[in-house]
Amino acid sequence: MDKYSRVTIREFMSPSNIGYIDDPSGTGHITDNADAVELTLFIRVDTGRITDAKYRIAGCTALIATLSVLSKELPGKTIDEALALDMQYLSGLLEGLPESKWRCAGYAVQALHLAIEDYQNKTS
Amino acid sequence: MERIVYLDNAATTPVDSAVLDEMKPFFTERFANPMTYMHSSEGDVAHTAVEEARVRVASLIGSKPEQVVFTCGGTESDNWVLKGTVERASRERLHKPGHLVTAEFEHHAILHSALALQRQGYEVTFVKVGRSGIVDPDDVRCAMRPTTVLVSIMHANNEIGTIQPIADIARVAHEHGALMHTDAVQTTAHIPVDVDALGVDFLSISAHKFNGPKGVGILFVRDHTAVYPFIDGGGQEWGLRGSTHNVPGIVGLGKAAQLGGERLPGELKRLTMLRNTLLDKLSVRIDRIVVNGDMKQRVPQNLNFRIEGIDNEPLLLAMNESGIIAAGGSACNAQETLASHVLTSIGCDLKEAKSSIRLSLGYATTEKDVDYAADVIPNLVKFLRSMA
Repeated sequence: MDKYSRVTIREFMSPSNIGYIDDPSGTGHITDNADAVELTLFIRVDTGRITDAKYRIAGCTALIATLSVLSKELPGKTIDEALALDMQYLSGLLEGLPESKWRCAGYAVQALHLAIEDYQNKTS
Repeated sequence: MERIVYLDNAATTPVDSAVLDEMKPFFTERFANPMTYMHSSEGDVAHTAVEEARVRVASLIGSKPEQVVFTCGGTESDNWVLKGTVERASRERLHKPGHLVTAEFEHHAILHSALALQRQGYEVTFVKVGRSGIVDPDDVRCAMRPTTVLVSIMHANNEIGTIQPIADIARVAHEHGALMHTDAVQTTAHIPVDVDALGVDFLSISAHKFNGPKGVGILFVRDHTAVYPFIDGGGQEWGLRGSTHNVPGIVGLGKAAQLGGERLPGELKRLTMLRNTLLDKLSVRIDRIVVNGDMKQRVPQNLNFRIEGIDNEPLLLAMNESGIIAAGGSACNAQETLASHVLTSIGCDLKEAKSSIRLSLGYATTEKDVDYAADVIPNLVKFLRSMA
């Protein structure tokens, strides 16, 4: 039976790092009307390492909880290390997301990739 | 103890303690099979109880007792009437596949039965429903064909609670020589349901929607010869529905019907007032809240609205964490991540459908419950909006 773990519910009820970053190094934005998702992820990168991650989100429980754990994982990671973060890993941090929620929670990873692409475009 | 405010009575209701008390002996000391009543006094006790329950249900819906056929619930009744009448009329009267008219926003018990008929070569028209959530009898008229054998339109929608003009639609059906069925699962014991006033040939009821037990319901069958049996077996229920009677369930249904009938006038007034108070308070405290479907032609226990910019899934989960139990749509589809077919059928886009919640009140709902919900829900909306 697909259901949320207590860890996921706790993370969703008190999510970390909701907010904006002024003058971010990279921004990833996703809108999907069918999934009722509106998401912006901001990252700050200093000397090749992500130092801060914040986001604004209207979306489902799984996505909010995933963004929360992702935003806590990112600081200190290199771009390559950040790109290696996937749903398998993030779901593990939430003690297992229901499989039916992986697709929607995956917007968190997509937003990260868009933010990194934005950062790379700005710096190339 | 943690506070629980149960606002999902359209999904199911608790069994009333008086109902449970009447049921209990039929699990143990009065366990005999009612079909043995001719030679067994114990069987006669069970048989008498079943027949008393039939009279109580008949009295609630204004039918004759022999027109009340016990089933295992609304879904069975809906399956039976669609498949049993369309097949019978097609085979015995038309001598070719007949045509069924129903509506896009019906419960899946009807929709999926209709699709099953379609797969077998019968024809089905799904009438569209407008923003009001009320089927226009003229749209039903336009859908009628010489081969139409049955029209099935729900009495009130299970998600948005809108009440349908069944008497007018039944007139259209009969003018065209078709039979009329209504799924009255959401209306029975909540608003007056009278089979003659509605002009229906069939009507489905489920006990657990009005403080009776799960697993029991009825199909009102005006004329036994209009429908083939759905469950073949022994001679129970005039041979229309085989299987040993669920005696405790039937007794519970009978008691719930009796209580429902007695409480109806007071509850209709009380729940309408509570529901309207809840909406008024939420409307003041939450920006951009829109009621789905007509607010006047609606069962008293139902409130369904959308909140712009909110996904109903996290809102319902956060409400649950605060002890408020509600729904996004039909409980039968609560695991699906798809938007409600009812809301999309009345013109909501996917985003609007996914920002909608249903609060459904019941006999146990108090003014304090409503006040609590009116205090908590706006704060949770604020919490979710603060992330966006």
